[in-house]
Amino acid sequence: MTPNAASASSGPSRRSFLASTAVATAAVAGGMPLLAACGGSGSGSRDGTTSAKDAKKILPAYVASNVVKPDIPARNGSAIGFTSKLDLATLKTSVTKKLGKGGKVTIMSPFWGSPPKQNNAYYRAMNDLIGVDVVWQNQDGNTYDQKLGAVLASSDIPDVVVVPGWNMNGKIPSAIINKFADLGPYLSGDAVKEYPNLAAIPTDAWQRSLFGGKLRGLPQPAPYVPGIVPLYRKDIFDKEGYEIPRSADEFMALAKEITNAKAKRWACLDMKWTAFQTFGVLSGSEKPLWWNLVDGKLVCRIETEEYLEALEWARKLFAAGVVHPDSELGKNAPDPGPKFAAGEFLIYPNNITQWWSRTAEQATQNPEFKVWGMDIWGHDGGNPHLWADQPAGIFAFVNKNASESVIRDVLAVANVTAAPYGTKEYMMTNYGAEGTHYTLKDGVPVKTDKGNNEVMNAYVMVASPAATLAHPDFPDVAKGQVMWQQRMGAFTKKSSFWGMQITEPGRYTNLGNDFEQLEDDITRGRKKISDMQQAVSDWKSKGGDKLRDWYMKILDENGSAAS
Amino acid sequence: MSHSTVPRSRAEAETEKTPVASGGAAGSPQKRPSGKLSLRLRLRRDRVLLLMTLPAVVLVLVFNYLPILGNVVAFQDYDPYISDNGIVSMLNSPFVGMENFQRIFEDSAFWNAVQNTLVLFSLQLVLFFPIPILLALLINSVVRPRVRAVAQAVLYLPHFFSWVLVIAVFQQIFGGAGILSQLLRQHGYNGLDIMTDPNTFPLLITAESVWKDAGWGIIVFLAALASVSPDLYEAAAMDGAGRWRRMWHVTLPALRPVIALLLVLRVGDALTVGFEQILLQRDAVGPGAAEVLDTFVWWNGVRNQDFGYAAAAGLIKGVVSIGLVLAANKVAHLMGEQGVYKK
Repeated sequence: MTPNAASASSGPSRRSFLASTAVATAAVAGGMPLLAACGGSGSGSRDGTTSAKDAKKILPAYVASNVVKPDIPARNGSAIGFTSKLDLATLKTSVTKKLGKGGKVTIMSPFWGSPPKQNNAYYRAMNDLIGVDVVWQNQDGNTYDQKLGAVLASSDIPDVVVVPGWNMNGKIPSAIINKFADLGPYLSGDAVKEYPNLAAIPTDAWQRSLFGGKLRGLPQPAPYVPGIVPLYRKDIFDKEGYEIPRSADEFMALAKEITNAKAKRWACLDMKWTAFQTFGVLSGSEKPLWWNLVDGKLVCRIETEEYLEALEWARKLFAAGVVHPDSELGKNAPDPGPKFAAGEFLIYPNNITQWWSRTAEQATQNPEFKVWGMDIWGHDGGNPHLWADQPAGIFAFVNKNASESVIRDVLAVANVTAAPYGTKEYMMTNYGAEGTHYTLKDGVPVKTDKGNNEVMNAYVMVASPAATLAHPDFPDVAKGQVMWQQRMGAFTKKSSFWGMQITEPGRYTNLGNDFEQLEDDITRGRKKISDMQQAVSDWKSKGGDKLRDWYMKILDENGSAAS
Repeated sequence: MSHSTVPRSRAEAETEKTPVASGGAAGSPQKRPSGKLSLRLRLRRDRVLLLMTLPAVVLVLVFNYLPILGNVVAFQDYDPYISDNGIVSMLNSPFVGMENFQRIFEDSAFWNAVQNTLVLFSLQLVLFFPIPILLALLINSVVRPRVRAVAQAVLYLPHFFSWVLVIAVFQQIFGGAGILSQLLRQHGYNGLDIMTDPNTFPLLITAESVWKDAGWGIIVFLAALASVSPDLYEAAAMDGAGRWRRMWHVTLPALRPVIALLLVLRVGDALTVGFEQILLQRDAVGPGAAEVLDTFVWWNGVRNQDFGYAAAAGLIKGVVSIGLVLAANKVAHLMGEQGVYKK
C-alpha cells in the first residue's frame, strides 16, 4: 500500500486513511478497531511485520461468544467487567465435547510467586476437564528472560513455551520464527470454529500473534489501558486519613508523611513505572511501543525530556528514604506480598491483576486488609498522558517438532482456558474445583488456602478469552478495576506502532537492552542522569538512528495506529 | 614423572632394557633407541595402566576438549535458533572475522568487568587466601580430639549451604530492612546500607566467601600438617625452640609447597571470582560494581543471546587465564617450588 507513503509526515491523516480502508479486514472486538498492517518487509522475511493482505489469509475467523452479558461493557480500552452475582448452579458449558486425546503436553511458562508442586489437585482437575496430561515447567517470571534463551537453544524444547512480549529481546524473535509451529492449518479462517472459545478471541489479539508471516502464537487478549497500577493499602490510608496524591509533589509530601523507618514503615516500593506513567513517558513494555511519530519524526522514549524527568523524580524518592530498602535489591527483591500485608510499605506499582490476588490472599487471615488502585496523576497536577499497551502481550507457542496430535491437544487446552466468564471451564481455570479450591459462602466462591496456593498462573497463561475482569468473590474489586481502566483509558493514547507485531532486525535487537538496568542504577543513585544522556547518545550512534529509519520505513508502508 | 606409579620391580626390569623410559635423566642420544620402538615398548609395558586411564581420558576429551571447538562461534554471528542442532547452526552461522573482538575491546562494559574482576581477585587473594591457613594452624594446635572435631564440623558446614541461602541469610541480617539496620533505627541511628552499597561490594563479596568457604579451605592444609613428622617438633623442642620458632621453622616450611601450589592454581583462576554469588547480587548494586567477566559473558550470551560476542569474551578470558597459570608456575619454579607441573 505504497500510496500511503505520501502522507508519511502526518499521523492523523494516516489514521483516517486506515479508518477508511483497513477496517475492512477488522473484526471489531471490545470497541478496539483492528490495526491492519500492510506491506512490511514482505511475508516470510525474518524482520518487519505482516502485511494486511497476508494477515487476512491467515487470521482465524471471529465468532463472538455471548454466554453471559457483561455488567460493564468495554469502554476506553478497558476489559469487560462482571460485578453481579454469579449463579454457580447454572454455569454454562462452553466445551461440550472433551477435545483432548489424552496425550502428554509439557508447557514451560513464567510464574510469578511460589509455584505449587507438580500433580496437585488443580492440575489434575484441569487435566481431567481437558482430557490432556499437561505437565508444567514453571519458571520464575521475573528472571524468565534469563532462561528462555538457553532453553530455546537446547535440543530439548518443551511442547509449549509461553513467551511474554517484553522478553522478546536479542535473538528470541528469530527463535520464535524458527522453533515454533505454524498453527495456521489448524486455526486460519473457518478452521478455528472447531475451537469455539478460540474463535471468540478478538482479532486484534490474533493479529499480534503473527510472527514471521505465520500464525504461531496463542494470545492472551489484554486491555490496552496500561496494566501497571499504583496499588495502595486503602485500609491504612482511611485510618490515618491519608489523601490520594494528585501530583508528583503531593506524592512526595505524602510519602514523607507515611515513612517511619524506626517503626519499619516506608511509603512505597520503587515507583519508577508509575513515574513513567505520570510524566507521560512512552510505553516501555515492548520495543516498538518505545517509538512515536512527533512532527513527522520518530522519537524514542529514551530520547524524551519526560523520560529523564521521571527518572529524576523516582530517584528523589529513593534519596528521600521513603522507599522500602528491599527495593534497593532491584530484581532480586523478595515477593512484595507479605511485607505489603504487614504494612511495611503502603504503595507499590504492579500489574492490575494483583489488585485482586492480594485481596484474595489476605481475605481470610486479615479481614481489615484492603488494597485499592490509585488513579494515575499528571506530574504537574493535571491529567496524565498515558500510552496504550498492546492488545495482547503474552503468547503460547507450540514446538515445531510437535506431532499433529500434540498440537491438537494443545489447542484443546487453549479452548478450555479461553472459555468466557460464566462457564464451567472459566470457573475451573480461574478458581479450581469446588470444595477443594473454593467454597461457597452465601453463594459466592471463596478461595481456600489450597486454592490460593495452587490456582495461580499456569493454565491462564495458555490462551484467554477477550479481556475480562470478573471476581465473583470480590465483585467490588472487579468493578474498581474496570472503572479504573475506563477512567485511565480516557487519558490513554496509542503510539505509532500499536497493535503491530514487529520483529526488529537482529543487529538492533539488543540496542536498548541495557536501559532498564541503567534506569535502576540512576533511581538508586548509583549512576547519574548525565550517564543516561551519554548512553542515549551512544545508542544513537551504535544504531539507534538507523533503527529509527528502519521503523520509519515500516510506518511508511503500513500506516500508523497513533491516536 | 609417571615412573613412580609403576610397580617397582617391574619398572626396574624394564628400565634396564630401555633406559630412555626413566624420563628426564636419559638425555644422551646413544642410549635413546628409535622413538617408534620406544613408544611401542612403552605402550606394551604400561598397557594395563593406560587402559585404566582410558575412561578418564575419554571423559576429558569429550567434556573438556571437544567443546573447545565451539569457540568457533566467537568468530561468528552465531544464531543457535536457525536449526534444531547446535552444530548445524554453527556451520550455518555467518562468519564475521574479528568483529566480535573488535566490539569487545571498544566496549566500556567489558573493561568495567575486567576491572571489577581484578579488584575482586586481588582483594580475595589478600583477605581470603591466608584465612584457611590461619584456621588450619589454629585447628592443628587444638589437642583434644572432640573439640577439634566439633570445630572442624562447624567450620566445614557453611560450605554446604547454597549461595542462595547464604545471601538470603546475609540479607536478613545486614539488609536495609534486616535485623541489624532495624536495631540501629530503633536506637536512633541510621540504617546500614551494607548489602546494596556498590562501593563496599568487593568487601561484602569477600566477607561472604570467607564465611562460606574459608572453613572448607583448611582441609588441604590440615592434610599437609598431618604429614609433618612429630619427630621434627620434638627435635626442635629439644633444641630449645619455642612455639613460634617451631611454627616458623617446622610448620610453615612443611606447608610451603601446598601454599605455592594453591597460589598457582588460584592465580590461574584469577578471572573466575564467583559466578553464582555475584549474579545473585548483581541487581542489588548494579553492574557498575558487580559485573565480572563471568557475568558479562552470561549477560551477553544467555540474556541477550549475543552468543558470538559472549564466546569471544570467554575466549579472551581463557587465553589470559592460561597465561596467568604459566606465569604463576614460572614464579613458583623460581622460588624453588614444584608448582602445578615440572618441566
